[in-house]
Amino acid sequence: MEKDNGLRQEVAELIYREATLLDRRRWDDWIDLYTADAVYWVPAWKNEEETTDDPETQLNMIYLRNRGGMEDRIFRIESRDSYASVPLDRTVHVVGNVLVENAAGDRIEAWANCVVHVYSTKSGPTTRASLYDYTLRRVNGALRIARKKITFIDDRLQGAVDIYHL
Amino acid sequence: MEGTVIDNRFSAMVDDRPQDRVFRVDRSVYTDPDVFGAEMERIYENGWVFLCHESQAKEPGAYFATEIGRQPVFVSRQKDGGLKGFINACAHRGALLTPWKQGKATVLTCRFHGWSFGCDGRCIRIKNEATGFPQKDFDRSRFDLTPVPRVESYRGFVFGSLNAEVPRITDYLGAAAKWIDLIVEQSPGGLEVVPGSSTYTIYGNWKMQVENAVDGYHVSTVHRVFAATVRNREERDGISGGMGMTEGGRIAGQVPSGAYDLGNGHMSIWATHTTPEVRPIYLQKERLEHELPAEDVKWILTRGRNLAVFPNVMIMDNPSTQIRVVKPVAPDRAEVTVYCIAPVGEPAAARAARLRKFEDFYLTFGMATSDDMAALEDSYEGSRARLNRWNDISNGMATMIEGPDEDAKRLGFTPASSNIDWQAETLYLGFYRRWRQMMTASVARDDQR
Repeated sequence: MEKDNGLRQEVAELIYREATLLDRRRWDDWIDLYTADAVYWVPAWKNEEETTDDPETQLNMIYLRNRGGMEDRIFRIESRDSYASVPLDRTVHVVGNVLVENAAGDRIEAWANCVVHVYSTKSGPTTRASLYDYTLRRVNGALRIARKKITFIDDRLQGAVDIYHL
Repeated sequence: MEGTVIDNRFSAMVDDRPQDRVFRVDRSVYTDPDVFGAEMERIYENGWVFLCHESQAKEPGAYFATEIGRQPVFVSRQKDGGLKGFINACAHRGALLTPWKQGKATVLTCRFHGWSFGCDGRCIRIKNEATGFPQKDFDRSRFDLTPVPRVESYRGFVFGSLNAEVPRITDYLGAAAKWIDLIVEQSPGGLEVVPGSSTYTIYGNWKMQVENAVDGYHVSTVHRVFAATVRNREERDGISGGMGMTEGGRIAGQVPSGAYDLGNGHMSIWATHTTPEVRPIYLQKERLEHELPAEDVKWILTRGRNLAVFPNVMIMDNPSTQIRVVKPVAPDRAEVTVYCIAPVGEPAAARAARLRKFEDFYLTFGMATSDDMAALEDSYEGSRARLNRWNDISNGMATMIEGPDEDAKRLGFTPASSNIDWQAETLYLGFYRRWRQMMTASVARDDQR
């Protein structure tokens, strides 16, 4: 399939921007990349090889069904009253393998991989890795995230996993 | 002789002087490698340990692999519907027999040298047996799997012991059994573990995880941010009822509550739900009122409950329903696995609400358990200080009642002690008295088994 290089670049830039906004803790700008009805989903592992696949009837690590769920996360981080979020872990996201998978009309599917270097002042450095499945949509001409599924590769990790680790 | 010295040292780690209202625990119970080794031998490999829920090994041949202390075991559903447990090691050269944590195989074939075992533990095939073991009197049964000496289920919750001499599981659970009943009797069709789980590693001692699960005292500090977050959500989104609302009232600590030392090291707490109608089980109020005694219904619908069964499993029915299993790895390491357990066949809306509440609160990806873990890890770090080495656990001794309070009598269970406030820490007296008893009692040594 011939893909529009302009679109490809636009998608990659959105995905890179999201990662950078998380690392720079620009939470409100991060949320603004999402549509109001955005779904943010991190399935659980069902067994050694498969994740859960129906978020309504199975357990997820995170399942936010609109932007409000993301705002809750930010509210908690910014309260400075969350034990796990004071001090905040430092993070660097490195996103790669961005692929535009399907661009039918206004709805764009894209994949990406992400490795996050995390530094905790208490327990030191760790690496966390995820597969990203995006559904993007245009809102007033601008590309926005309508759905993000994060397949979190690691298990048996020490410490909290919040939106900035993903 | 040396054993006695060590026993005295363990015994001295619990400063138990109720007449002076003193109860203190030396924090080396968490940090000392000798303590950890003795716990594995004297507690985990000598008493009852939770293994799994029956729904995790349902069909004949279905197995669930776990550990008892340091020893890998698996539970296997038999053709007659019963459960057996075996040491998870090939009788030949010790390879694990289960490729998965949870799976199904009426015959388990070792992936190393191809020996096969029935799910009843019998050795049924040895590769090249005719040439490898040609002797006429060769008896293959000497390679049958080693059974876990005791496996018993209490209403779906499966426990095992490497010590054949433990009492029956119902006797061991004692007063804790009623707290399991309060979960089980919610569902005439039984309970099931919902697909998906989370396992996380804590930098800390396994006992800290058990303590945390029945610690009502930390809720109004560590989780006030959770309460503030859901309050903000409900105001922002105009949520004033329904199962999308969170039972936040108990977090401030201003509701009727209680704490019990259930005996044998088991502990429990409860707190009143200010908005019981938003709980998933509330949809079944009428049926419950029809089927169960009024007192049971009151506890099920209006009282959030956390239970810790000594030593390694916690069963929660609070914002959501959870089985939490702790696996000690080292003095400063434990692996915790959490499962959502739910009534079979509950309405889809109730199941969804139960899961969303679980995800909100109970995971290290969630907005409360993550804070618990951070507090626990700081406590472990602080416990390394020897100049101030005592954990004070006397809070609430003034209001403690020996035996059952009126609530316990009405529901029908007999705790060792009761307290009128879930912030009281007197339930830990039972935990550490049990701990001290098991850590200083004589046990069959490994080489005598």
